[in-house]
Amino acid sequence: MRSWDVIRMRWRTLRRRPRVEDELERELRFHLEQQAEENRTRGLPPAEARRAALRRLGGVAQIQEDCRDMRRTNFIENLWRDLRYALRMLKKSPGFTVVIVLTLALAIGANSAIFSVIDGVLLRPLPYPEANRIVRIFFHSADYAKFPLNPFDFRDFRARSRSFESMAAFTRGDLQLSGSGRPEQFTGFRVTAGFFHVLGLHPAMGREFNRKDEIPGNELSVILSDRLWRDRFAADPNIIGRKITLDSQPFTVVGVMPPGTEHPGNQYHGVAYGQTVDLWWPFAFRGNPNQRGSHFMEVIGRLKPGVAPGQAQAEMNAIVPDFARGWHVLVIPLYREIVGPSQRLLLVLLGAVALVLLIACANAANLLLARATARRSEIAVRAALGAGRRRLIAQMLAESLLIALLGGALALAMAAGAVRVLVALLPAGFPRADSIHTNAEVFVFTFLITLGAGILFGLAPALQAARADLHDRLRDGGRGATSGGRSLRLRNVLVVGEIGLASVLLIGAGLLLRSFVNLLHADPGFRPEHVLTAQISLPDATYKPPDAMRFYDRLLVSLNSAADIQAAGVGSDVPWTGYDENIGGFTIEGKKPPTGEDFHARYHLASPNYFRALGIPLVGGRFFTTADGAQALMINQAMARSYWPGKDAVGSRITFEDHPKEKDWMTVVGIVGDVKDRPTSAMAEMAMWWPIEQAFFPVQQMSVAVRGAADPALLANDIRRAVAQLDPTLAVADIRPMEDIADANVSTPRFSLFLVALFAGLALTLAAIGIYGVIAYSVGQRTQEFGLRMALGADPADVMALVLRQGVRLALAGVGVGLIAALALGRVLRSLLYGVGAADPVTFACVAAAAIAIAVLACYLPARRATGVDPAHALRAE
Amino acid sequence: MSKPSDLIQGTLDLLILRTLALEPKHGWAIAKRIEQVSEDVLQVTQGALYPALHRLEQQGWIRSSWHKTETRREAKFYELTRAGRKQLEKEMAQWERLSRAVGQVVRMAED
Repeated sequence: MRSWDVIRMRWRTLRRRPRVEDELERELRFHLEQQAEENRTRGLPPAEARRAALRRLGGVAQIQEDCRDMRRTNFIENLWRDLRYALRMLKKSPGFTVVIVLTLALAIGANSAIFSVIDGVLLRPLPYPEANRIVRIFFHSADYAKFPLNPFDFRDFRARSRSFESMAAFTRGDLQLSGSGRPEQFTGFRVTAGFFHVLGLHPAMGREFNRKDEIPGNELSVILSDRLWRDRFAADPNIIGRKITLDSQPFTVVGVMPPGTEHPGNQYHGVAYGQTVDLWWPFAFRGNPNQRGSHFMEVIGRLKPGVAPGQAQAEMNAIVPDFARGWHVLVIPLYREIVGPSQRLLLVLLGAVALVLLIACANAANLLLARATARRSEIAVRAALGAGRRRLIAQMLAESLLIALLGGALALAMAAGAVRVLVALLPAGFPRADSIHTNAEVFVFTFLITLGAGILFGLAPALQAARADLHDRLRDGGRGATSGGRSLRLRNVLVVGEIGLASVLLIGAGLLLRSFVNLLHADPGFRPEHVLTAQISLPDATYKPPDAMRFYDRLLVSLNSAADIQAAGVGSDVPWTGYDENIGGFTIEGKKPPTGEDFHARYHLASPNYFRALGIPLVGGRFFTTADGAQALMINQAMARSYWPGKDAVGSRITFEDHPKEKDWMTVVGIVGDVKDRPTSAMAEMAMWWPIEQAFFPVQQMSVAVRGAADPALLANDIRRAVAQLDPTLAVADIRPMEDIADANVSTPRFSLFLVALFAGLALTLAAIGIYGVIAYSVGQRTQEFGLRMALGADPADVMALVLRQGVRLALAGVGVGLIAALALGRVLRSLLYGVGAADPVTFACVAAAAIAIAVLACYLPARRATGVDPAHALRAE
Repeated sequence: MSKPSDLIQGTLDLLILRTLALEPKHGWAIAKRIEQVSEDVLQVTQGALYPALHRLEQQGWIRSSWHKTETRREAKFYELTRAGRKQLEKEMAQWERLSRAVGQVVRMAED
């Protein structure tokens, strides 16, 4: 209550400053008159009485100042005065002001923009209630970092684990909606009971799945996303209970999820985090609970309050040997699973912009120092008139704060635009891109770094200006070099720092550039040009395996006979689109696996022309043909190298049966080149391809790849027409040129390269401005010296060399500091590099050369000026 | 520039508050009153008085208003607020304790 009164009082004092000042003056005048009157009554003549009173009162101005101090408003008044003064000073030298404000705005704006991304992606909590309790659960072994679970493994965990409030499993299950218009395939997931409950989400209408829905035969119900409900069902309020046809089967709509239902992201047949899923349908536990070879369920759980992920993991690892030998359980917080992969990249970018801001601060400090030297006489006069050290420092700081605030305001405007550009540039599949905005947090962050920068770059010049010996300065008339020595030393240090930091950024950009070039030049193992891919999914209800095989045979005949198609194939997947951990253990005829291991490789399906369509080269044997039937096998080089080292694998036989009969043996007929999972993967996984005629593996969902002679987009209609001729109810989904897929896979390195290169360029420019400023100033100071040297017969070339040498010395020191710092920081970048070490000598050498070249360039103008000094003129000037 | 030390400033606050406890006064009258009552031992300089008054007002212990004096001149009168009265009691008690303590120490030194 009282403190409120005090605040109100001070506010009034501030607001009605003129009146308060006026009252103070009247009050003191009254006192003076009373004193004078008293003196008169003692018998002094009036004039003498008044003089005596004045003497007694002391310095009126001093009392007034003390009263103001007591009102504690002096600080704010002074600040206000200082700011206005600073504004006048800045207006006087617009060029100087524009350079500092612009460079700061660029640096602060870059920080704000990157912070916006970090705020949206890393800092904002996931849009699930108590999201920190949600975890992902994987199997883990020496060979597989994260492996999905078998449905029955999941069911055992759900029944026995005590660490979880709830647990659910999900697996990709797209469905085709037919009805009015062109059939369309929607992204779907099969989920176990209470999947949304784990996430803390509730349907907007209807219900979510319960244990009854997990019973085989009850799968034909579906929950729709808000988007699907609006787009395809006109937001029908009576949709619950309605039957819709999905994959040629009648599904009952049991629920609609509200907008903002975010898919938690998944690994296998991965769908990115976000509002990316259209429908969910029940997962039913079919088959024999004792056969647990196939793993395809991804698991999510909500921990009980107070249970740490580590505890849950320990508990599950204690149960797991009971039903799944050889596996460990991994419990990973959902947050880390979603943002983990992008965290490193974002932190590297934040580090890069922080360096840019540091350089901009050093640059601003440098320019301010130069000006402080030029303003020495002004400051000396102020000091002589009684300005205290503190007031001088406050005045200089007010100036730097004003500069920073101008820069910050401009930065905020630039950041708003930059964030939009950044979001558009984000690599494919970047998590949480739509929660990136310039919001209040970004505003506060910008304000804080602006203040911090203002103080950081203002402090050194302010202290420098206030240190000064008054005497010296007045005597020098602000021209001599007495206090310039220290200032110049500080400025040299700043320039060395700027060049050092810029070199660090340049090295980072150089390493990323080399990685990117390596990636682009690396042989992908296939030829993406002129190839179009698409997904086809045959409904289980209408296509039994033999029907599906017949469908693909006829589709391929039709496609391969089209005039503009050179080769068309189908396969279980296409390169670089994610993968399925389909590993098979098998026996190689006449070989024994090393003890404790088994022969294994990833298996895929492929039609004969699949490899030709994708441009995957044959390196041994031959491609299989339709005539081979189900007993032929293709393998990749990685598998051939591991299991038949130094020998020809072609002709070898393997089997997947424990007690094989003659028909169970499959023969390797050909070896194809390696294709890695991702362009950045360390090496290709061992893999084999079965012909689609085999009988164990469902062929309902396949990828089509067609190679043409020209623009692959033109082939889309060929695929659509061929499919529609065979079955007009089928959707052709995910039509993408292979080049787009390849491009999306290098979008992360391209994004980081682009930004770091941008920041490095900015840093280099700032450093060049810094070195130019210092050299130009020093040339100005040494004008007489140069004049004298030339009068004594020095060549202009000598003088120029003298100046350049000074610049090169600074650059060398800076580059040295930068290279050492870059060596120390190298490991931060390592995970973003490809095919190049963090201490790559070529990059380091190029950056050193470039930084020194830029320094020489920046020194050239001042050096030219030095050679232009007229000796007579320079000597007369003193 | 130099400000009164804490002891003197605190004592001056007490003297001003005590002087205002009887009736509202203007600055001149406060100074005169203190000089009179202390038989000219305590001389209050204007350089100390007015900053102190302004500070006390900012603290909310006294408030001011303009009134006519007996000589029909406009002067700024100060009076105690309720918070000021409480503060006065507190400072009086503190002063009593302090002066008693100092007195005891001084006497003991004589023994």
